Amino acid sequence: MTLALFIALGLPLLLGPLLGPLERVFGRRVGWVAFGAPVLATAALLWLAREVGLPGSRVIEFPWIPSLGINLSFLLDGLSLFFALVVSGMGVLVFWYANFYLDDHYEHHGRFYAYLTLFMAAMLGTVLANNLMLLFVFWELTGITSFLLIGFLHEEESSRVGARQALLITGFTGLLLLAGVLMVRQVGGSFDLSVLLHEGLPVGEHRGWLTAAMLLMLLGAFGKSAQFPFHFWLPNAMAAPTPVSAYLHSATMVKLGVFLSARLFPLFNEQELWAPLLSWVAFGTMVLGAVLALQSHDLKAILAFSTISQLGYLIGYYGLGPARGVEYDYLHILNHVFYKGGLFMIAGVVIHSTGIQDIRQLGGLWRRLPWLGAACAVSAATMAGVIGTTGFLSKEMMLKEIFEAMRPHGALGAYAAGCVLVTSVVKVAFAARFFTNVFLGPEPSAVKEHFHAPPLALQLPAVLLATAAVVFGLAPMLLDRPLHALSVAGLHHPSDHLALWHGVTLELAVSTGVLLAGAGLYAWGQRTHWRWARISPALRFDAFFEAGVGVFSKFTKWLTRALQADRPVSYLPLILVFTLVVVGGWTARALAMEWRVFNWLATATGENGDWLRAFAAALISLAVVGVVLLKQWTTQLISLSIAGFLTTFYFVLYRAPDLALTQILVEVVTLILVLVLLGRFPRSAERGEHTWRPPPLRRALNLSLALGVGGLMTALVLWINARPAAGRIGDWFPAHTEALAEGTNTVNTILVDFRGFDTLGEITVLLIATLGALGLLMRYKRTPEEYRQGPLGPAGMGLHHPEEGKQ
Amino acid sequence: MQIETALLIGVLFACATYLILQNSFVKILFGFIVLSNAANLLLLSMSGAPDGREAPIAGQGAGPMVDPLPQALILTAIVIGFGVTAYLVVLLYRLFLDQKTTNAAELYADQDTSEHT
Repeated sequence: MTLALFIALGLPLLLGPLLGPLERVFGRRVGWVAFGAPVLATAALLWLAREVGLPGSRVIEFPWIPSLGINLSFLLDGLSLFFALVVSGMGVLVFWYANFYLDDHYEHHGRFYAYLTLFMAAMLGTVLANNLMLLFVFWELTGITSFLLIGFLHEEESSRVGARQALLITGFTGLLLLAGVLMVRQVGGSFDLSVLLHEGLPVGEHRGWLTAAMLLMLLGAFGKSAQFPFHFWLPNAMAAPTPVSAYLHSATMVKLGVFLSARLFPLFNEQELWAPLLSWVAFGTMVLGAVLALQSHDLKAILAFSTISQLGYLIGYYGLGPARGVEYDYLHILNHVFYKGGLFMIAGVVIHSTGIQDIRQLGGLWRRLPWLGAACAVSAATMAGVIGTTGFLSKEMMLKEIFEAMRPHGALGAYAAGCVLVTSVVKVAFAARFFTNVFLGPEPSAVKEHFHAPPLALQLPAVLLATAAVVFGLAPMLLDRPLHALSVAGLHHPSDHLALWHGVTLELAVSTGVLLAGAGLYAWGQRTHWRWARISPALRFDAFFEAGVGVFSKFTKWLTRALQADRPVSYLPLILVFTLVVVGGWTARALAMEWRVFNWLATATGENGDWLRAFAAALISLAVVGVVLLKQWTTQLISLSIAGFLTTFYFVLYRAPDLALTQILVEVVTLILVLVLLGRFPRSAERGEHTWRPPPLRRALNLSLALGVGGLMTALVLWINARPAAGRIGDWFPAHTEALAEGTNTVNTILVDFRGFDTLGEITVLLIATLGALGLLMRYKRTPEEYRQGPLGPAGMGLHHPEEGKQ
Repeated sequence: MQIETALLIGVLFACATYLILQNSFVKILFGFIVLSNAANLLLLSMSGAPDGREAPIAGQGAGPMVDPLPQALILTAIVIGFGVTAYLVVLLYRLFLDQKTTNAAELYADQDTSEHT
């Protein structure tokens, strides 16, 4: 079983990165190498489905970060295997399709299939994951690969904008999902779905947390499945090549929200908010998507909006599901995969062979593409829910359940029923339009000019999907056994047998009415040539989003400019004020709380301090204050050196001979170095320093900041020293220095033996500083004349560039 | 207690902060040197008062020794501080060669006007 799981999941993950380099070997045909991944995955998953012993479940686990409860743990049950099979099965069709679709007009085939294969692996990982953290990781990976695939044609701006929108929306909502996952872990005590589903979540004291967790996770689902108010990214994601749209943005990735709703259904469906939240949002999105689809003219936009609508239908279905479990969710999902995947591929073939995407400029393709036309007729009929297709079954069952749900849910049920009816009518209209306006009617001249026949193999997947829609539509009993086997305890309620004919029922009557009303709407649209169809600016949420992103980036730029100026004198005060407020405030609070600040001062002053130390400290302070007060560089430097040498003496008083030795050496070298530097500056530079004086307010700020920092440091030293150390790690070293390091000078043995690597790092720092200084000095070579003129140039500022000398 | 060390550290930090907030790059350099000394002393004060203790050289006296760990850290810090100081000196020299000023106010005044034109 582990092997099969590896073939399904690990192989695509490994194969993906290899496809880029393999393109150099195989060229365009690298797609056929990639084609192996979904085929093998499907075979492995089918074998797994047989081995698991459905409707049971199995967990396969490998340790990853066991201390945090995060493991590579996979849950094989009906739900995960169903979705995994949809992903890999659609993968087979889409990879096949892509191999014919991406001809030599496209570049970077290796990269494309690498993204697509990685995406498939990420999808499989998401649906198979048992550990919620693992699910999150794969979830975000699907978002990233989707970003790369939408932006695949990155020379076009629409691709870049669409890719960015998709990444921002799905990435952001993915983070909400992570927050929800962490909350579930806090409340439920485990990341593992198998544990959570088995034990359930504790209700009662954690109600608030559970509601918040549910809300966050559902927002993650809404983002991924393009539900209101996140719906706008999906139509813009259609900038991707059509195989990507068919795979990611109709059949698989956008269904992750549906998958998550199904996974969470047993955990949360008892929550008060579950039904209203899912129903209001999802059914509302369903109507919105349908109306927008009716108003669009772009082939892929129509399909994208109808996908949004259908996703609302699927998610809302879980919202209204009764506590005992839902019955026909797989049927609805399969139905959508059959017709929407097919329609996307048909749209792709049409675009591929004519180069036209606007439905108003298309027509009469039936004579040229009869097979495709037939497939389109079937798929459109499935979308409309005509009898004899899976669409009919799906709609019948949906209506039946909605009518049942109306009683317990009251207003919510009526709202859902109304939404479903309106959407069904609208769907009939745009389904009919999609078929008739592309394949029937007169052939426009633009089509005549551009048309080149697509290979039959390109049309095959769409025909297969349409066939499946009809076969299962006419013989629904074929679905009984697999659907029953894939059912999951807690989520599913054993369903009645599916049948084509349920007799003359309310649902049948409503269904017929819907078809007639839809036909009427379509006829009216045709009569008016769809002139009224235009998406109103108030519904252009993507434009609002882009404007928001623009404002946000302006705001961050402004904030950065305001906080971080070029000159240190401008932003250092900000940092210092912050430090003083936070560290100083905290210290002051700690001191005030313990009321011991006076005690410390009393003991500190009461104890007779070391007078020699006090004398040295006073001298050093005097010298350093001198650096601040003196005017000339040279005198300042001398004052600074005095302070440095006195510090050497201070080190001696602290029983630190090594420090004193080092300090004396460094002090001498520093003095020489700075002296050499100052000697190179002309007098005028030093005088120039005094011409500009900061305004008095600024000087007051500097002074108060300086005093604040000084006071804070004094307080810190006193405070830390007032608390007796419980133990010193430093005591370990003198005790062991002779035994372990064969030396008595403990400071030396620490440096070269115990902490030798620190000294190595120190030497590295010196080396880097040396190299940096060398680079600064060697930026240009002086000419011999300049060299002869000495370090100081002829006039004014002295040193000058050779370019200036030439002028 | 080390009240005198605490006060000394306070004075050093205050002076270093004041110098670093100046516009003159030479003063900023001086401020940096003072700041390294201040930080070294701050570390040293963590080894506790040295009264009645001996240098950390094993096997000499029977009395208690001062904590050697801060001293080892400071030794490293002194050397690194010197490395950075040397780099700053050269940087300042370079800056003067290119910009003909040692004053941040002048330097950025030029830049501000060039940005606006």
